[in-house]
Amino acid sequence: METYIINLLVLISINAILAVTLNFILGYAGIFSIAHALFFGVGAYAATFAAMKLGLDFTGATAFGMLLAALISLALALPALRVRGEYFVAASLGLQMLAITVFTEWKSVTGGIGGLTNIPPARIFGFTLTQPEHYLVLSLACLLAIILIIRALVRSSFGRSLKALRDDEAAASAFGKNVSVIKTSAVVLSSALAAVAGSLYASYLSFINVESFVLETSIQLMAMVIIGGTATLFGPVVGAVLIILLPAGLSYIPHLPATEIGSIQQIIYGLAMVLLMIFRPGGLWGFQENPKAHA
Amino acid sequence: MSDQQDILLQVTGVAKTFGGLKAVDDVTLALRAGIVTTLVGPNGAGKTTLFNLITGQLVPDRGEVVWLGNSIVRLPQWKIARLGIGRTFQDLKLFSHMTVEENVTTVTERGSWLWQPGGAAAKAARRSSVEAALEATGLKDKRHARAIDLAFAERKFLSLARVMASGARLWLLDEPASGLDPGSYERFLSLLRNSVRGGVTICIIEHNLDIVQGISDRIAFLDQGRLLAEGEPKTILSDPALAAIYFGERAA
Repeated sequence: METYIINLLVLISINAILAVTLNFILGYAGIFSIAHALFFGVGAYAATFAAMKLGLDFTGATAFGMLLAALISLALALPALRVRGEYFVAASLGLQMLAITVFTEWKSVTGGIGGLTNIPPARIFGFTLTQPEHYLVLSLACLLAIILIIRALVRSSFGRSLKALRDDEAAASAFGKNVSVIKTSAVVLSSALAAVAGSLYASYLSFINVESFVLETSIQLMAMVIIGGTATLFGPVVGAVLIILLPAGLSYIPHLPATEIGSIQQIIYGLAMVLLMIFRPGGLWGFQENPKAHA
Repeated sequence: MSDQQDILLQVTGVAKTFGGLKAVDDVTLALRAGIVTTLVGPNGAGKTTLFNLITGQLVPDRGEVVWLGNSIVRLPQWKIARLGIGRTFQDLKLFSHMTVEENVTTVTERGSWLWQPGGAAAKAARRSSVEAALEATGLKDKRHARAIDLAFAERKFLSLARVMASGARLWLLDEPASGLDPGSYERFLSLLRNSVRGGVTICIIEHNLDIVQGISDRIAFLDQGRLLAEGEPKTILSDPALAAIYFGERAA
């Protein structure tokens, strides 16, 4: 029972890292990417490769994953960010689909559809993480560090530039903002930080396959951000908690046939999204940070 | 008097066509340093398009735009802005979900990377230009309000505060006074006069002839994309042919 709760908390932390990093581009820069799971996957596969083939410890493997995610996102962002708004959504959808094919077909690195098994537990500063509690501490520490990094970025001149081009790209350019450089840096940073979640996930589960990095994951991450509150620091964390706990909570409701939980969950998601957009368009956390949003 | 002054920006033979429409047709115009040049003309005359061509939001089909002796045609918009050309927009284009202070602060920060060049001294200079702009536009008490929550006149002043704080030498103002009440008018006019006295050059699109008379050193009259006349306010405003076009078109 306790292990079960710790497991949930680790998964929440990992998903919160993904939601917080997605919110950095979605909420603050207005870049609607549905390819975030791609960078989660790149982080997971690259860190696994670094750990199993290169013998790197958790810090080294994670850094390797971050670097690779940054490079791939740079290569993707440069052409894709030239298109605006809704076209970027379509472009990122294409990238996500492309990534799924690569994850499935590049068998020598990703293990194909069967994935990679027997991923060694994380080693950090000579200490090997064997218990779920260890991973909880590590993933919470990573989440906290990433929240602090993003908080510092958002409050800096870079964060103001992001918000400026989100609110009005034409005005941002007219005031000397190099929009494509700023957007590209934001995407690269966000992707590199998302790779940390991939590295944690792979070493925690000791098994990964393409199913964790598909379009549904990207959409679920977007739901976490929107439900929790875009452009807020803790909204995406709240969103991650809710979306991970929802299926777990449903399984406790008596007389609910286990086979129906999936569809009930979909109904609740859908309903929650609709109600939220009507009553709290800024997200659940949105109200706290913007008390005058409806003034 | 103004003929002797240095030319800050020279537009020569500039043209822009949208589909079959000649929005700006072979316009040649000099903006002289330290004065107010007003663009007058009926709606659709090409005034805003001319601004968009100068600032690089649009690229001219033909012609040359020269800033302090250097061609700026085809430079990206952000580079042109950094040369010292600032503007306001008819639809304001504020950073709606940012606070008043953030709106003004962000235009002083030109670095695209994670830090701003210049260290503490540059930071203090940016800070003080933000404060000066908030003071001049009367927005000091509203600094923490979001742009979207401001009243109409405050929003117009915020768009002016932005161009002020940006440090631009040339301000292209697109109907900044439309819809202001008389009290705000006065504040607006004195803000413009003080800025010109402080060395700023202004090119303004304006329909209100009282304002045009009150602040213009030169007037350029455009109609259907063409520059029909350019000169002293007295000469332009007393020309019956121009008045017929202006009021005739307006009434139609």
